[in-house]
Amino acid sequence: MRLDRRGRAACSACCLAAGLIALSTSTGRGQQDPFAGAARLMVLDGGLPPIDRGLRAQDAPREARNRAASIEIVDRAETALPYLRGSLIVKFKDGTGGNAVASALSQVSGTSSTRAAWADFDIVDIPITVDVEAAAAALGSRGDVEYAQPRYLNHAFSKPNDPLYANQWNFPAIDMERAWDIQPGATSDIIVAVLDSGVAFQTATYRYNSRFAFRLTPGGPVYRALGIIDVPFAAAPELGASGSTRFASPRDFIWDDTDPVDLDGHGTHVSGTIGQVTNNGVGVAGMAYNVRIMPVKIIQGLWDEIFLSPNEGTDDIVARGIRYAADNGAKVINLSIGRTEGGAAPAVQDAMRYAVGKGVFIAVAAGNSKDSGNAPNRIADFAASIDGLVAVAAVGRTLEASYFSTTAAYVEIAAPGGDQKQGGTGAGILQQTLDSDALETYNLPPSQYGPPRADVFTYSYFQGTSMATPHVAGFAALLMQQGVTNPAAIEAAMKQFATDKGAPGRDDVYGYGLINPRATLRGLGLAR
Amino acid sequence: MTQMTPMTQMTQMTLGPQMTQMTLGPQMTQMTRTPSREPARRRRRTALLVAILAVLLAAAPASAQAKEKLRIGGYAMAGGITFASSESFDAVLGTHSGPLFGGGARVGLPWFGLFVDLGAWRFKDEGERVLQAGGTLYKLGIPVTITITPIELTGGWQFHGRRGIWRRLGPYVGAGLSSYSYKETSTFATTSENADDRFSGYHLLGGAEYKVLNWLGIAGEAAWSTIPDALGTAGISKEFGETELGGTSFRMKITVGR
Repeated sequence: MRLDRRGRAACSACCLAAGLIALSTSTGRGQQDPFAGAARLMVLDGGLPPIDRGLRAQDAPREARNRAASIEIVDRAETALPYLRGSLIVKFKDGTGGNAVASALSQVSGTSSTRAAWADFDIVDIPITVDVEAAAAALGSRGDVEYAQPRYLNHAFSKPNDPLYANQWNFPAIDMERAWDIQPGATSDIIVAVLDSGVAFQTATYRYNSRFAFRLTPGGPVYRALGIIDVPFAAAPELGASGSTRFASPRDFIWDDTDPVDLDGHGTHVSGTIGQVTNNGVGVAGMAYNVRIMPVKIIQGLWDEIFLSPNEGTDDIVARGIRYAADNGAKVINLSIGRTEGGAAPAVQDAMRYAVGKGVFIAVAAGNSKDSGNAPNRIADFAASIDGLVAVAAVGRTLEASYFSTTAAYVEIAAPGGDQKQGGTGAGILQQTLDSDALETYNLPPSQYGPPRADVFTYSYFQGTSMATPHVAGFAALLMQQGVTNPAAIEAAMKQFATDKGAPGRDDVYGYGLINPRATLRGLGLAR
Repeated sequence: MTQMTPMTQMTQMTLGPQMTQMTLGPQMTQMTRTPSREPARRRRRTALLVAILAVLLAAAPASAQAKEKLRIGGYAMAGGITFASSESFDAVLGTHSGPLFGGGARVGLPWFGLFVDLGAWRFKDEGERVLQAGGTLYKLGIPVTITITPIELTGGWQFHGRRGIWRRLGPYVGAGLSSYSYKETSTFATTSENADDRFSGYHLLGGAEYKVLNWLGIAGEAAWSTIPDALGTAGISKEFGETELGGTSFRMKITVGR
């Protein structure tokens, strides 16, 4: 949900509507329409490269709109030997006779089988109870043995090399490094639709008209109308190049066009958790880092409101966005949005059923209202009735429920969403997104207020079930790549292998528990 | 009295000195020599006992004929096994049957065709790890190798005839204890996630050995084994509620030894 966004902007949407001062400027009146009938205008396709302002680790913890957790260190360490028991590698020196070999083998109660192809050594089987390292040392000390060593286990080096990965506690917390061994980031065959505030997917300059002055808070300072302004956008460097195939079928239901650029940062951050470019030696990592992202803008940011976007994130817009994604090849839909106000959302529910019926898995945020009345997210509260739609709760760095994470009967699964009350700024979820300093100039005093820039990026910590949901969406993409293509089966598998937390079995806090991508992707053997 | 005669004749015909001495004790001798005045019922009972004895004597092992106390032989075998936990094996391996290879040793005891057999064989197959969700089984493309190595200790009886084909063909039955080594390894698994366990159970078997030469034979054998509670605590076998590791196997053997 978008409820995790910063403090001043938190209630700005409603205040903006109430605080618009309709008569404060003549800009845009009595002049030739500079937009030729369009709501906004792309004035430059392309532009300067994006500005990367790096990590914002010193920010004060962001106010999440909704609170509580206790610290308990979860021990998930596993005592695994780095080698196989019951055998070792031995190379006898050339010319070693059969008697000498037999003598050596008897020293460790070993037997040797036929040498495998492409091997100039032998595999010696020893009793399972024998200390492999000691046996190797004993054989290695013999004059007729060139070397003897345990059969050490090798594995893919799946720990991302992105330098800020060390700040991403959320991925090791759900064993992603070993999950990536099994399924390294899916492929471009999988399209994940991010239905959100847009995505920084395009480098271009758009012309907007800021016609009205406004107040962010009742009685607060008035921010002047900026008139016609050009806003530079850039594709987030850690998401993919502008115009590349990384982005599939973009669609903007707020501005009714195909340019769902992000004027908020929320959608870009969420997209990063799903598919941030990984192992590129830059920045941070994402869950399913090879998938294609479908940017679908179905909610507006504050700037969209200031620019008077023709649509807002109503249920019909959300429903249309869901159907659009399903009809245009999305396999997974991420909905880190919702509402606690109002009644049921049948239009959205029908759209979700439609999408799931077309084989699309949907992850939706459970909500951030626990500390503010615990009202349900109305576009998630029917999740339990649709197999293939999963409502996601959030846990913090301690893997306990985040203070804001809504508890409800519809909560089905939990994932890292951060809890900065229990760990400060770094306990949020770190991804690349738009730099709030350059974007949110309305957070400055009116005298410093000016046009936004959407081409400056930082690595920022956010918290919320919004941040938990893309973990599940990315996880679903990995499962799809692994061959589990049915949305209901994905949901069932996620629940089956979830790490149970809270009350035994399903509960309203964690649902069936914390996602366990590695165990799920690994599946079941015959007896293990 | 006439009933006794054939018995005597048979004894004289077939039994070696030891057996003759064993079965034709004073009482028997007296019975054959002394005209009976007992009731018919008693005569019939006696006749039955003698008949049973005659069958046992007729089935006496070749060792007795060869004046050997023990017969020691070995064998190699190949065959196939069908596992009882069919759904679990089908899910992971794509089949619940497969080949087995092994060998063993058999000691024929000098009493009534008794033998003791110690054999071992191995079943090994590769499959994929799976997910069962929403009623559908998904193969995940993660290789898994199942290796089952039973050791079977069998006690049994082998019957030998004395004429014609039965001089070379010896059917046998047996039963005994089984100890199954079960190994399951898969890619991406830590050591603790692989299985390397041993389970116990028992088996029944029956077959027939045909002596091509005095020292060389072939045998066909069917066996049924049960290894309860070996599966079903984890893995797909838990999903299916299958706990049995045993099954039914058919084996062909090449035997050596007299």
